[in-house]
Amino acid sequence: MDLLFDSVQSAVLLLMSFDAELFEIVLVSLNVSFSATLLASILGIPGGFVIAYATFPGKRLVLTCLNTLLALPTVVIGLLVYSFISRRGILGPLELLYTQKAIIIGQIILIVPVIMTLTIAAISRIDKRYRMTALTLGANRSQMALVILKEARYGIFAAVIAAFGRVIAEVGISMMLGGNAKGFTRTMTTAMALEYDKGEFVLSVALGITLMAFAFAINMLFHLLQGRTGHDVV
Amino acid sequence: MLYKLEKLQRCHGSRTILNIDALEIRPKRIYTLIGPNGAGKTSLLQILAFLDKPSSGKVNFLDRPVSFDEKQLYTLRRQVVLLDQNPIMFTGSVWKNVEFGLRVRKLDAKSRRQRIEEALELVGMENFFDYDARGLSGGETKRVALARALVLQPEVLLCDEPTANVDNENQEIILNIIERINKERQGSIIFSTHYLSQGQRLADHTLLLQNGTLSDIASDNIYRVNVIDSTEEGCLCQLTGQLFLRLPAHTFPAETKVAKVHIDPDSIIFNPQSTNPPDGNPLNGHITELAQDSGRIRVVIDVGVKLTAVLSMEQYRLEKPAIGDKMSIFIPHSATHLTRIDLAR
Repeated sequence: MDLLFDSVQSAVLLLMSFDAELFEIVLVSLNVSFSATLLASILGIPGGFVIAYATFPGKRLVLTCLNTLLALPTVVIGLLVYSFISRRGILGPLELLYTQKAIIIGQIILIVPVIMTLTIAAISRIDKRYRMTALTLGANRSQMALVILKEARYGIFAAVIAAFGRVIAEVGISMMLGGNAKGFTRTMTTAMALEYDKGEFVLSVALGITLMAFAFAINMLFHLLQGRTGHDVV
Repeated sequence: MLYKLEKLQRCHGSRTILNIDALEIRPKRIYTLIGPNGAGKTSLLQILAFLDKPSSGKVNFLDRPVSFDEKQLYTLRRQVVLLDQNPIMFTGSVWKNVEFGLRVRKLDAKSRRQRIEEALELVGMENFFDYDARGLSGGETKRVALARALVLQPEVLLCDEPTANVDNENQEIILNIIERINKERQGSIIFSTHYLSQGQRLADHTLLLQNGTLSDIASDNIYRVNVIDSTEEGCLCQLTGQLFLRLPAHTFPAETKVAKVHIDPDSIIFNPQSTNPPDGNPLNGHITELAQDSGRIRVVIDVGVKLTAVLSMEQYRLEKPAIGDKMSIFIPHSATHLTRIDLAR
C-alpha cells in the first residue's frame, strides 16, 4: 500500500510541476486518439446508419461479423497492419511503420466496429414514426437521415466516447505499430508499460491519473450536454 | 378523380391485410374510413400517403398512375400528408416542429413565419411557439401535429384516428378544424375512426373496411366469442353473459378458444317461421333503432348484444317493425364468418 500511496503522491507532484516529458506523452496520446476517433466516426457513423436502415441479403451475417470484431485483440490488429506497412509489406514504401499514422490506422480498425455496432443499436432504438413523419412532411432520404441522426445523437455520442475510451487505453497497437519512440510515438499507455518494466512507478502512476482524468472529463462533458434536454438518457 | 385503386392487395408474408377490388375517391370531399381494429385502415392510409407500396394492384393519383419508384414517391408525398394516430414530435420547440416541412421545401423565412403563425392559430396553439414539443399533453401534441401537416397546405390530408386517445374538448377542436379546412380551403380529407357517429357528422362519404376489404354497409356485428364446447356436431360459443351461438365445428381451427365472429347483417332472417330456415341460431330480442341507409333499413335488435340487421324497403313494408317491438330472428350459419384470435400475439 505504501508503494501505491508514495507513487500517487509523487505523481501528483510531477503533474503539478508541469513536467515536459509527461506533457509530451499526453499530447501524443491525445493527438493519436482524437485523430483515430474522428476518422473512425466519419467511417463508422454513416456505415452504422446504412446497415441499420438498409435491408439487404446477408445483413444478419454483417451484424454478426461486426459483433465478432468487437472482440478483436489489439495484437491481432497490430500484426495485420504490420504485415501491410512493414518494409516488405504492400504499403512499405509509404514508410508508415513506427509513426503516429501507423497507430492511427490500427486504432481506426479497432474502433470502427465499436462505433458501427453502437450506432446501429442507437438508431434501431429510434421510434419508426420519426422516419414516417419526416417522409410524410416531404423530407428526402438525406433529410430523413438527418432527422434520425439528430434523434439518435446521444446514443451516437455514447458510441464515439466508448470508442475514444477504447483507443486511449489500448497498448498493443501503439506498442507494435508505434514502437514507443520517445517524443514521437510514445503514448500514455506505452510509456506506462515501459516505466513499469523499468520499475519506475511514479511516471507510470502519473500517466494513469492523467488518463483517468481525461476519461472522466470527457464523460462529464457528455453528461452535461445530455442533461440539457432532460429527455434523453443513454 | 383524386385516387383510383384497382385490385389492390397488401400482404405481410402469407397474410393479406388489404384486398380492395375497386375504390374511387373524389377531390375536395371528406371521406371517413370506418372499421374495427385490424381492418386495414392504417395500411390503406399509408398506401394513400405513399409511405407504403401495395403488393399488387394499381393506384392512380390525380388521374395519373403511381409507379411507386422512389423519385415519384418523393414528389407525390409533397402533395399528401398523413397525420399519425399517435403523432411523434421531433426534438425542439413547437415552432421548429411546424417549420420542418416548410424548411425541407426551402421556403423563405418570411413565408415560413406567416404560415406557421396561421397554422398554430388555426389549431389554437398560438401561445405555444417556444414550448418544448415533447412536453405537450396528448391533445396538444395532436393539435401541433395537425398544424405541422396543415402548414404545408397539402392537396390531401390523411388522418389516422385523429380523435383517438384525446379528451372530448380536444376531439371537438380537431373535428372542427377538419371541417373548417375542407370548407375554407376546399381540401380533400380522408380520416379513419372507430366511431360511426363522427363519420356521419363530418364525412361526405363513408368507407367501411372489414378484414382488409371494403364493405357496402355499416356493420357493428363483430364480436369476440369464447368457445365453450367443441364437438363434431358444432361449437358452442359464448358472446356475452347468457347469449350463446352454436356454430359448425369446421369453421374453427382446432383448439380455438377465442375467436372473432362477424354476423352479416344482410343475411339475418326476420320472423323465421315464415320461411324454411337452414342450419343456424334462432334468437329473440326487441328493436332499439331503425334508420334509413342508402335505400335500405338498418334495424338494431337487442338480443343480449346490439345486433344490426338490414331490411330491403319491400321487407320493411311487409314486416312493419317499430321501436320496442319484440322480434324473432334467425342467424343462418352462412351469415357467420369467423376469425381466430391468437392470444399469444
